[in-house]
Amino acid sequence: MRQWVWVFIFLVLGGFSLAQDRTQVLVYGGDWTDLITLDPQVVYEFSGVMIADNLYETLVRFEGSDLATLRPGLAESWKVERGTTDWILTFKLRRGSRFSTGREVTAKDVVFSFERALALKGPGSFLFTDIAQLKPGATKALDPYTVEVRIPKSASPQSFLSILTFTIGGVVDSEEVQKNAKGGDLGKDWLTNNSAGSGPYRLVRWDRGNQVILEANPHARIKPKVPRVVLRYIQEPAVLRTALESGEIDIAEGLTPEGLKAIAANPRFKVVRAETLRLQYLGMNMKAGSPFANAKLREAMRYAVNQDELLQGLLQGNAVKTQTLIPKGLLGHNPTTPYKYDPNRARKLLAEAGYLQGLEFELLVSTGICGGGVPCPDVAAKLQADMAKAGFRARIRAIANAEVLATYRAQNHQVVLAGWSPDFPDPDGNATPWADYGARSLAWRNSYNDEVAAKLARQAALETDPQKRQALYKVLTEKVLREGPYVVLYQPAQPIGLSAKVEGFLKNPMMSAPLWQVSKQP
Amino acid sequence: MAAYLVRRLFLVLFVGVGITFVTFFIAQVVPTDPAVAALGENAREEQIREFRERYGLDRPLLVQYGIYLRRLLALDLGRSLRTGRPVAEDLKEFFPATLELSLAAFLVAVALGLPAGVWAALRQNRSPDLLVRLFALLLGSTPVFFLAILLLDVLHRQLGLLPGPGRLDPYLIPPPRVTGLVTLDALLAKDLAAFRDALHHLLLPAFVLGSASAALLARMTRAAMLEVLSQDYVRTAWAKGLAERQVVLRHALKNAALPILTLLGGLLGGLLSGAVLTETIFSWPGLGRYVTQSATSLDFPAVMGVTLLVGVVYSLLNLLVDLLYALLDPRIRYA
Repeated sequence: MRQWVWVFIFLVLGGFSLAQDRTQVLVYGGDWTDLITLDPQVVYEFSGVMIADNLYETLVRFEGSDLATLRPGLAESWKVERGTTDWILTFKLRRGSRFSTGREVTAKDVVFSFERALALKGPGSFLFTDIAQLKPGATKALDPYTVEVRIPKSASPQSFLSILTFTIGGVVDSEEVQKNAKGGDLGKDWLTNNSAGSGPYRLVRWDRGNQVILEANPHARIKPKVPRVVLRYIQEPAVLRTALESGEIDIAEGLTPEGLKAIAANPRFKVVRAETLRLQYLGMNMKAGSPFANAKLREAMRYAVNQDELLQGLLQGNAVKTQTLIPKGLLGHNPTTPYKYDPNRARKLLAEAGYLQGLEFELLVSTGICGGGVPCPDVAAKLQADMAKAGFRARIRAIANAEVLATYRAQNHQVVLAGWSPDFPDPDGNATPWADYGARSLAWRNSYNDEVAAKLARQAALETDPQKRQALYKVLTEKVLREGPYVVLYQPAQPIGLSAKVEGFLKNPMMSAPLWQVSKQP
Repeated sequence: MAAYLVRRLFLVLFVGVGITFVTFFIAQVVPTDPAVAALGENAREEQIREFRERYGLDRPLLVQYGIYLRRLLALDLGRSLRTGRPVAEDLKEFFPATLELSLAAFLVAVALGLPAGVWAALRQNRSPDLLVRLFALLLGSTPVFFLAILLLDVLHRQLGLLPGPGRLDPYLIPPPRVTGLVTLDALLAKDLAAFRDALHHLLLPAFVLGSASAALLARMTRAAMLEVLSQDYVRTAWAKGLAERQVVLRHALKNAALPILTLLGGLLGGLLSGAVLTETIFSWPGLGRYVTQSATSLDFPAVMGVTLLVGVVYSLLNLLVDLLYALLDPRIRYA
């Protein structure tokens, strides 16, 4: 008996042993709990998109943080032609791209993947069906290395190309997926926890709530610098920091502003700021009978927000100052920031609008976390304090995020503190929802029904000349800035803590992180 | 005995249905639409409508409940609104982590609490007793998150004695998943390094989770032992000149065992229902984290699945405790 106790004690306490060379494994800690699938045609969550992006290749792609220049992916070249009724996009595939199974990527895999996206109707499928208006049968393999896609003239080929950089356009190994399909599910169940792509990595294992393990795809065209990536689920920020400091993880996403400050001050670590395309904004409901139907009142509100203090104080600089509806990083971003905090001017405008005693209104906020990692009620409290000096008495109503959304969708708010990220990296991902009442998105929720703005958004979406497009967006953004129902508060950046040994890590504004470019020093 | 067992098992079934009824209707009181919660800020009206139809959320409540019960008869717990996977699959994935941690924590609680309680009772009002009572008070009243973060910071980050969060060193190749208990899977794969590492990773969370139970158990054991130690038959045993070991283990502890056993059953049940804070801090992929996440995203089928599982586990543990009573105390018979 006693010997067994000693054996046990030895087993438990006897030294550590490490199986792998530490520079050959990259450990990335963060809260990946939103991860529900890794199927490229279904995935639509931040962490899922980030991971799937490393497993699958798309026909075209963006590189780094540049979301304005399309680059070759699986397609080495492409052209857009104006047909009689359709836009015709022709893609020439490069030869020799291989899936993790060793099979070559051909046009039939592209056709299969696009048709699969349409058939599965995943949460991102509207990008294909609504934005690009892609129909089943519209994607054809002209030969093993040529794909033709036709979309109606009413859709924007620029937006479609941008959508194709997104995971929904990820190309899967059609043979492998069909082999694993059951009951007509097109392999959806199987692809949830398995991969069949030509990206630099393949999925080895996903233990839900615990870890996701990727390994270099032996047949990939792009060879990753670190052959194994482990994504560790760590939800608690204090623990995340402990794990980074102890060397257990190399990259920590989701640190608190204080944690980041401490990390930045330590030479063993560094902080990378990933810009996002998210906008945190106030939405004022303009429906008939609402005080915010009055343009003067909306203007007063723009002078009642102290953007600079919000950015420097609460957000500790983890955000970009912007006031227009297209975020920085996309074509058409308008850097103008004409509104400064001016309580006196706000009061004057309020008086002109007939509110001599100021105005009391309800400010609807989520109890959750806002962009930049700050609790939404804290943002609301700061706004409330600044607005009070300008004659606006905000009554904060903090409720669960889902309930905020339900109220907002039902147009039952007065003013809401909300966030928006475009569904695809194209200015139209913001312009149409924000400016076109008919799209039944943000403009509709805030009862902003302006035919000129809607027309401008539609015209800009279809414009193929980047310069003309830019000019159209300038007009649109100025107009909505002055007249619309929004006060854009900030564009959050996402700070990520790294070990100083890690080189080449980047997270782009669409939240994709090309992990294959990352290297690790001993 | 057999009739008794059948009756009790039938009762478990009844409790299960009761749990589904209560959870289902409480879930309906929440004023928010789960479809909106699941689809987020960019969702379109058609998507929301389609989601409601797909999960039957557009049907009358009683019909929804009826469908749920009918599926339950076929042991189908429905699909999670958040992950889209069968809830049973999710439970299969998350429960083993909780099971592993709870058993380890239970072991810690028994290994610390029981001897400490006995020792304190034997040395009543002397320094060992005071020491045990002090520690029991301290451990029992220290918030779990505080203890967890403190121990992680000192033992892991500063001293490097014990590993950090998670179930296994990320630099190790994890053993193939068979049971879902990493320690057991490592043994099955004959991977000693992984087994040792998994045990290392268990130590801190098991201690943190088990310490409060150990404190409770120590106090309970002490009280039960004190009562028994003052009985005539114990005095007689001492008088007969029996060794301390025999008096304590055979005469006293065995007779003090009933209340301790009841407590142990409850403790294990509580541990098995998942410990949100410990699991969150140690990044332990267990039921506690799964259910909090499901609850915050209004994923009712998942919440009901967990509640049902925990309810059934509790009922079965209670049954087990009752059966053990009969084993320990020959006066107790079930018919």
